[in-house]
Amino acid sequence: MRIIPFILYLFLIAMHEVISSDLITVYTAVINLPALAVLLVAIYKSQVVSIWFGFAAGVVMAAGMPDLMGWHALILSALALTAFHVRERLNLDSLCAKLLLILGGVLMHNVLVLIVTRSDEFLYLLWSRALVGGILTSLVAWLFFLFKEGHITYAKMKALF
Amino acid sequence: MSYLSYKSVRNAHFAAVLVLAVVLIIGQPVVNGLVSQVILDGFYYPFFHIKKLLTEVATVSTENDQLRAWVAKSSVELSLLEEAARENARLRSILGFEQLPGYRLLPATVVSVTGGQMPISATINRGLDDSVKVQQPVINQVGLVGRIQEVMPGYAKVQLLTDPLNRVAARVASGREMGIVRYLVSEGMVLDNFPNQGIAQPGDTILSSGLGRVYPPGLTVGTVSKVTRPENKPYSEVRLEPAVNFHSLEELFVLMPETP
Repeated sequence: MRIIPFILYLFLIAMHEVISSDLITVYTAVINLPALAVLLVAIYKSQVVSIWFGFAAGVVMAAGMPDLMGWHALILSALALTAFHVRERLNLDSLCAKLLLILGGVLMHNVLVLIVTRSDEFLYLLWSRALVGGILTSLVAWLFFLFKEGHITYAKMKALF
Repeated sequence: MSYLSYKSVRNAHFAAVLVLAVVLIIGQPVVNGLVSQVILDGFYYPFFHIKKLLTEVATVSTENDQLRAWVAKSSVELSLLEEAARENARLRSILGFEQLPGYRLLPATVVSVTGGQMPISATINRGLDDSVKVQQPVINQVGLVGRIQEVMPGYAKVQLLTDPLNRVAARVASGREMGIVRYLVSEGMVLDNFPNQGIAQPGDTILSSGLGRVYPPGLTVGTVSKVTRPENKPYSEVRLEPAVNFHSLEELFVLMPETP
């Protein structure tokens, strides 16, 4: 297993937490890049890799809030394991199936984070942050899959302009 | 068997992760603080630095915009202050102007001037509402400018000395010989009908004589610039340099009689 790409993913998560999460927001919802990265790894890599990457992503994501670091690591590890088993049992060839898995996974992560952080306005944040954030993250995943599966290529972009 | 072995390895990994997560959950703040510090130093620090730089760039841009606006505003204020300083200097020179007996000065501002290369008339912001009447003399702090030609309720038209149709009865200040000042487009301001025997030389001041009852005596019209005395003619050709710069008329005064 090559470890460097996963370290780069972790740097990407750190960059998102520091810089881009504040820039790309819809109301209070943000792109959940840690969950997205963990789910993508779970879709394309093995279970062991997914579990450990989920753990590392949780630790990196929660570096700014040490009190919840263990919970975040546990939630993302569990998410990775769940996503891996869903992938094993379902046919994920279609784009919609993958997007549904991403949406469900991100929603689950957002809800679990809300529960762990014991937000006062749980119900409000449930739809404003968890749901909208899940949709926003799924849009990013959709673009990622379009690029990865060759639906959007440099040649096509060039032909458009 | 191998499947079971593979499955047990997977479970072992998950168990290890679970144990580590539990350690992080119950091990705070000692363990978590240490891990957090390592992660922040290793992964977050470069991005904190980049974010700080981006924030500074954004601040510099905003500050730059504010400074540009401030410079533009200051530039306008400076222009206004410079104009005020020039006006102040002019008004100070006007204050030293000796007032004519029997007249009061009605200040006026030039609204527009008309004419070709040399202005021949000017419009001032005083008119019938200010009791301005036709033929009243108009001066500035330097000398005679012209006379009122037309009067409207809020405005009046001044016929300048540069109008070829305007004439002023004048004399040389040092001698007492008289003549008529008029403006010729080809030659400029001249003193007509000045006798050959008269004493005039370049630099002499020409004043209004008061004859004709339009202009009071003693108003400066100009200075002699050249004198030519033809032998076979009774009159000299005297050219004048106007006292007033007709290209920069701004504040004028209408001479209003004390007893209307």
